[in-house]
Amino acid sequence: MTTSNATATESGQPPDVALTINGLAVNAHAGMSLVEAAWHGGVPQVTSVGCLEGVCGSCRVMLRRDKVVTVGLACQTFVEDNIEVVFLPPASAPQHHYEISDFKDGWDIHARFHKIFPEASRCRHCHGCDKACPKGITVENGVALAVAGRYREAGEAFFECVMCELCDAACPELIAPAHVGLFSRRVTAHFHLRPPNLIHRLEELRQERIETCRDEDSKK
Amino acid sequence: MSNGIPLAEALARYRADTDLAPPPALTDIDALLHAYHPDHLRDSVTKLAVGANAGDNCQRELAELLQAEAFIDEADLAGAPVTDIDVLVIGGGGAGCAAALAAAENGARVLLATKLRLGDSNTVMAEGGIQAAIEPDDSIQRHIQDTLRGGHHLGDPALVAALAGDGPEVLHWLINQGMQLDQTPSGDLHTRRAGGMSTPRLVHCRDYTGLEMMRVLREAVIQHRSIEVWEQSPAVELLSNEVGQKCVGAVLTSLLDGQLRIVRTRSVILATGGLGRLHLNGFPTSNHLGATGDGLVLAYRIGARLCELDSFQYHPTGLLHPSHLAGKLVTEGVRAAGALLVNGLGQRFIDELQPRDVVCAAILRECSEGRGVRVDDQHSGVWLDTPRLERTQPGILEQQFTSLMTRTHVAGIDPRREPLLVHPTLHYQNGGAVIGVNGATTVPGLYAVGEVAGGIHGRNRLMGNALLEIISFGRRAGVAATVDRDRGPKKVTLEHVNHMRRAMTLAGLPMTQRAPQVLPAYAAGGIWNR
Repeated sequence: MTTSNATATESGQPPDVALTINGLAVNAHAGMSLVEAAWHGGVPQVTSVGCLEGVCGSCRVMLRRDKVVTVGLACQTFVEDNIEVVFLPPASAPQHHYEISDFKDGWDIHARFHKIFPEASRCRHCHGCDKACPKGITVENGVALAVAGRYREAGEAFFECVMCELCDAACPELIAPAHVGLFSRRVTAHFHLRPPNLIHRLEELRQERIETCRDEDSKK
Repeated sequence: MSNGIPLAEALARYRADTDLAPPPALTDIDALLHAYHPDHLRDSVTKLAVGANAGDNCQRELAELLQAEAFIDEADLAGAPVTDIDVLVIGGGGAGCAAALAAAENGARVLLATKLRLGDSNTVMAEGGIQAAIEPDDSIQRHIQDTLRGGHHLGDPALVAALAGDGPEVLHWLINQGMQLDQTPSGDLHTRRAGGMSTPRLVHCRDYTGLEMMRVLREAVIQHRSIEVWEQSPAVELLSNEVGQKCVGAVLTSLLDGQLRIVRTRSVILATGGLGRLHLNGFPTSNHLGATGDGLVLAYRIGARLCELDSFQYHPTGLLHPSHLAGKLVTEGVRAAGALLVNGLGQRFIDELQPRDVVCAAILRECSEGRGVRVDDQHSGVWLDTPRLERTQPGILEQQFTSLMTRTHVAGIDPRREPLLVHPTLHYQNGGAVIGVNGATTVPGLYAVGEVAGGIHGRNRLMGNALLEIISFGRRAGVAATVDRDRGPKKVTLEHVNHMRRAMTLAGLPMTQRAPQVLPAYAAGGIWNR
């Protein structure tokens, strides 16, 4: 058994894949993820690693293969010869502000959306967000659905979103597509998820509480 | 562990279409657990010599950290910048976010400090769902009974009653925050029945329940006007009053620049999660990178009482291969759907739907007795027979286990064609800090919520009770921490550290080990210099 989860390092074979991570030359074993390679190569200051299975969205990297530059998640990308990897700094704080508790009326939500995300309707269809998404989400289309007020469908498009915010970084209009997607999902639940089985049980529990209070009052 | 059937030979022998004999009858469960469950491994458990639990059993690796030297002394605090805040929440998973939101809703100014990025937690990886008694034939009482029975009747009934009673209101709150949950065609919340439940009670969002919950709570916290968030800011010590008996703040550091910062506060809520990344007994883990048990260490040093320190949940089906996913989970749902476990000889060896501790022990028995599939000298496992599942229920993997398919696809593995090699993986800390129904620990001013707290799950947690616990108790502690108002700390000290140091010297314990661990050694290079 191993004390680390990185078993490839213990295979006994010499490392045979040469790459650069944050400017440092690293020799890694084939089959290692970029996170494992960074640890194996002793690359300092790699602090953006979380779940190691592609759902937390922390380990954002920029990748250069020859002249082609892409982005991805380091725990889901594997070492290749000559690939250049740079771990990206954490995303900056969101520029779009709202608290869901401020929304009282579902009828004005579309007006509010355009006020909160004024850039969303200015999409220039460059596909930068689609190309940046490590989850293969049709980001641009998702934003278009939200702009058209179709929040349920927009939110569904973002179902696998892990909030790595690489699409936000890729957008020249500063639309913040990941947050548009999450807004769409949240307002859909907030205004439309009204499950009868849950509502019925909540009402039963409320009645029970009222009766308990009455009993206690009558005892006094 | 050099015995076992070599991988190539086992793979050549494997067939998805042979008839399999049923597994041998399980005669003595206790004997199996005692012989093979990691909690019962020889030398796995030791007795604590100092602190609130002196004389109690404790897992060995954890005991070393609970009885370790602090990183800092008074001298290190000279010149450190001071922040004053109403409530400090340490930990940015589901429990920490719920606590921060509840405290902020009650008018407190909140600082949430987290070791990694906000949301980097075990919450985000939870697939299965969240328990709540909402179906007509279910009741809060049945939820309580199932939870107590699942924990071998060692859970605290008052805590369990609070947990189960909160279930429906927790769902209401989550929906208000904007969390989506799967519905039936008539609009009811869809429920499933999982291990240990007497009736369907597991509410879910496909197999991404934790991700959906975490991204909503993370956004809610970031957007909240009264909550400040410090990322990459692990806590290295708590602060106490002049006599070392009340928690009045914490010392945080930064993974980026190593600068110490003092936070003075009326209440500290620990929501630091579990300790899978300590790799107890050398096991791989399903946990995220920050799960190093820091909260237990901090709580114990300031005098909090802990419980069930020798009881951990090892999930039976962690992936052994590919290596970058080693220890990561294949959800119990796959076995619930009918996938079988097969050893290197192509035989079934256990009823796959026994409780997690039993299945885990049976897999370890197969490996130890030479019937496992051997990958190399150090690694062996058994097959999770996904091709047979796909053969009997075509399309099931694609439709119901999206997350599993996405993860294995990245590694070029197709579970529909090749069986998955699995081995038990360290999954959950059953015990933790002793708390009351509002999350208060035995130390005034200090609360603990989520996996770092103990007493709810006894010695075995049921699926779906963790996601419920983090919201239920997170909110309880968030409210209690704001109600509990005094004028705030007059003086902040490290008196409790001195107390522990004296006790350790008297007990003749070495002062070489330092804690908390903050990051596992293999990931700490150039980040966290101890």
